[in-house]
Amino acid sequence: MCGILGLFNPAGILPPSDILLAALDRLKLRGPDDSGIWRDESVLLGHRRLAVVDLSPSGHQPMESADRRYIVVFNGEIYNHRELRPRLNLQGDWRGTSDTETLIEAYRFWGMDCLKYINGMFAFAIWDRVERNLFLARDRMGVKPLYYSHSHGKFGFGSRPGALSLLINDDGLEIDSEGLRVYLELGYVPAPLSFHRDIRKLPAGHCLLVNARGVRRIRYWDYRSIKPDPSMNSRAEGELVDELDSLIQSAVKARLISDVPLGAFLSGGVDSAIVVAAMKNSGVGHPKTFTIGFTEETYNEGPAAAKAARYLGVDHIHETLDVNSLLDLLPMYIQEFDEPFADSSAFPTMAVARLARRYVTVALSGDGADELFGGYHYYPLIDRLAPMLGWRAATKRASGRLFNTLPWHRTKLLAGALQCRDTVGLFHFLRSVSKDYPSLVNPEILRSTANSESWFSQFAGAFAVDLTAAETAMRLDAGLTLPDLFLQKVDVATMAFSLEARCPMTDYRLVEWAMRLPMRFKVRDGETKYLLKKVLSKYLPAECVYRPKMGFAVPLAKWLRGPLRTWAEELVHDDSLMSRLPLDKARVRELLRQHSAGDRESHPLLWSVLMLLCFVQTHGARRALPVVAYREVA
Amino acid sequence: MMGPRKAAPRVVFLFTEIFANGGIQRFNRTILDSCGQLGLHGRVMSLNDSSESIEGQLKHGNLTVVGFSGNRRRFALAVAVVLLRGRYDRVLIGHINFLLLTILVMALRLFSRTPTLLVAHGIEVWSGIGWWRRRALSRVTRILCVSRYTRQRILDQAPALIAGHLIRFPNALADTWGRAQPVPTARALPNPFILSVTRLDRGDRYKGIATVIEAFSMLADDSMQYFIVGHGSDLSFLQLVAERCGVRDRVRFMRGVSDSELIALYQQCAAFVLPSGKEGFGIVFLEAMFFGAPVIAAEEKGAVDVVRDGETGLTVRFGDTIEITRAIERIVSDAGLRERVRAAGRSLVTDGGPFTFAGFTRRCAEVFEAGETTVA
Repeated sequence: MCGILGLFNPAGILPPSDILLAALDRLKLRGPDDSGIWRDESVLLGHRRLAVVDLSPSGHQPMESADRRYIVVFNGEIYNHRELRPRLNLQGDWRGTSDTETLIEAYRFWGMDCLKYINGMFAFAIWDRVERNLFLARDRMGVKPLYYSHSHGKFGFGSRPGALSLLINDDGLEIDSEGLRVYLELGYVPAPLSFHRDIRKLPAGHCLLVNARGVRRIRYWDYRSIKPDPSMNSRAEGELVDELDSLIQSAVKARLISDVPLGAFLSGGVDSAIVVAAMKNSGVGHPKTFTIGFTEETYNEGPAAAKAARYLGVDHIHETLDVNSLLDLLPMYIQEFDEPFADSSAFPTMAVARLARRYVTVALSGDGADELFGGYHYYPLIDRLAPMLGWRAATKRASGRLFNTLPWHRTKLLAGALQCRDTVGLFHFLRSVSKDYPSLVNPEILRSTANSESWFSQFAGAFAVDLTAAETAMRLDAGLTLPDLFLQKVDVATMAFSLEARCPMTDYRLVEWAMRLPMRFKVRDGETKYLLKKVLSKYLPAECVYRPKMGFAVPLAKWLRGPLRTWAEELVHDDSLMSRLPLDKARVRELLRQHSAGDRESHPLLWSVLMLLCFVQTHGARRALPVVAYREVA
Repeated sequence: MMGPRKAAPRVVFLFTEIFANGGIQRFNRTILDSCGQLGLHGRVMSLNDSSESIEGQLKHGNLTVVGFSGNRRRFALAVAVVLLRGRYDRVLIGHINFLLLTILVMALRLFSRTPTLLVAHGIEVWSGIGWWRRRALSRVTRILCVSRYTRQRILDQAPALIAGHLIRFPNALADTWGRAQPVPTARALPNPFILSVTRLDRGDRYKGIATVIEAFSMLADDSMQYFIVGHGSDLSFLQLVAERCGVRDRVRFMRGVSDSELIALYQQCAAFVLPSGKEGFGIVFLEAMFFGAPVIAAEEKGAVDVVRDGETGLTVRFGDTIEITRAIERIVSDAGLRERVRAAGRSLVTDGGPFTFAGFTRRCAEVFEAGETTVA
């Protein structure tokens, strides 16, 4: 796990060394062990290293291929690199044992097709000295981030937008209007959008070919069109349980290669427990596992994790915190997310990463299982709501009016769901964290940009035909929510403590299998992750498997009325700060007042706005940040 | 053809629409042209056509067309009156939505054994055939299924039906298209370009145009252009997709294209690409093949009856943008393959091929001759 950046300018004008070093410095936490720079007349490549595999200097980057034609900067791990080596027909000896060396030789041997063979999490860039082109790729499920910028003939890239913006900085960056709108809707910015107008995020499963003529973006792997396999319905359930178990074990085993101490997060939920069980089965004697518990029972998964740890026989390390102590992490949260990011579960993720880093350098996590195997509560819900989409327009209108007059929140949600046109619309409605964000935003932005539903629709256009509504929702989550919300959170939160997180559930073989698995093995009679729980039942008693999902929740609503109230009020009443964003400040202030007074629960939208303000305050202070001018709403 | 000793049967045709764009409408026009050539007499009742849209359209004097401009009540009443009068020998139900009405009215004619034919096109019969419709289907003499997939889906839902009553009755290239000749187009056509011809409504996203745009953006050849002929409510969404994929300047949306221009487009395109996920049959593939366009389709539903991978075209998995890109690159770069699929595709719609107008007319003659004929 590392940080990379680079710049290609065919005109040959490159930034001076001090800018390059400052940009690399922004990646220091991602790679505290080593750093390196490579440059010629039109290209520069920079790297910060967190040494995990091959700790010797032979793993130093940027790294040249044996024939010296290619130079690579690489962030991530190639889990099958040892199996690939004998196939690469290398003339001479390998210089070391690092996966970076395998990657560069794989590219020399297979070219772009190397992406078909490598299994891992990665974001890398390879410069071809002969053809004078740059090849970049992001892993299939988007575990590792990669941002890029192409303007005025210059192409830049980096692991973090903050580092990249320093590298390409001309006169300061502008906020991307569409990125802003989508962020307020969803609480994160899905690829290829970013919050910076001149910066894009490379979507998962894509690569880029860059030369003096331009940039071509290519999708090299795609699960979207895989059809559920009806023949799996007729197979014995036990057979499917064993097959899934074996796939998970294979994915976990591949992720155990490391020359530094390795452990796992264990929350007490199904996903992390299954990963730890597979670690045990793969021959890791007593893996270290880590949990954060809270003194408040509502948020405390500590006892459940401890019980699972006892059954699994692992070396469990547990820290109990007062939930309010998570607020100590707020400055780091704001500093490390280079884009506004409104998922408050980043707090406990950072806390558990901080704990784990005291003992290990690598930690396995269960992220990805919910999206692949049907873990979220709204999957059964969306299947129940979907038939309403077929109602006649007049019936929908009448029912919507009726539901709206009723005093309950759920009926109002139903009224909103009735306005959706299709399953993608329904997913968008259920997934958006702030349904009333338009009231805060400059109408010009609403007029001139598309909302996130159009991105969902575009992505879903390639889905296999005849999927159920829940299957559609799961594929949207796997392709958009997982990489750019949950995996980004894990990446940033762990990198903030120089800890490498590995996510076995995102192994592409497992993903493809999950796409073929019929829905009845994912959600059955309201039971989520049906088959996955059957697998875990082989290792844990029912009381550990079939317990309510808790998640990494924090008391955001309470915080905004209590310890964060003054901080929030200062932010929204800072006129100079507010005037730099296209938001209606009076409405934002009123929203906070209503929430503080307990008149209205607005914490999701408020938190999004507050993170936005913090972003401008923290990252914008360093450079000019011209934004779309706000026109007062009449 | 009809036997010389029998009088040509009189047929009542119940159609949703005839004179508009769309696969069902084309099928309806083709069947009327065939029946006209066979000398059948009949009354054609079209729910959605208006008198204006019908005016001067039908060339066969022995067929009378009445349009109801979308007025369901008036249509149902008129159908009931015509069927109860009983001055006909066959009833052709052009859409399953008219099935219950027809069977109910005909049940009132207690001793009538008039053969009833139902055309099963695609999506409307692939699911949702409830108890009442299954009962009604058992009263139909023949079900004319436009594709193997449609036939199988009906049998899956109504296994009690006699399989022999479900006949595969594929569409064919319309007589007018078969005789059409290209004329030089006023529009300057670039070289090379790929082509899609389809409706662009929001409800038609299964046609896969957004995936073609994405696949097109990944092609190595950045001089290639993409022409999309059609219009509909999803146009702005597709323009947005093209913008996001960075190919807005190379994707051209065309509407108001004349037949002769369309023929020129078919003839000159590098590939005709329509990887639709729910094509009942895909008459547009036949048109493209007739004019020599190599076809790329999705291996789904009715399209597989026409496009066989590596023979009459290339097939891809629906939605697989990587496969679509590769298929386009293959067809563009491999001249031998291109010529082979062109020739094989054309053979389907010319001289004795399975999808010619002559073959379709022959099939019409067979189904209209079959069964008990009561000539007054």
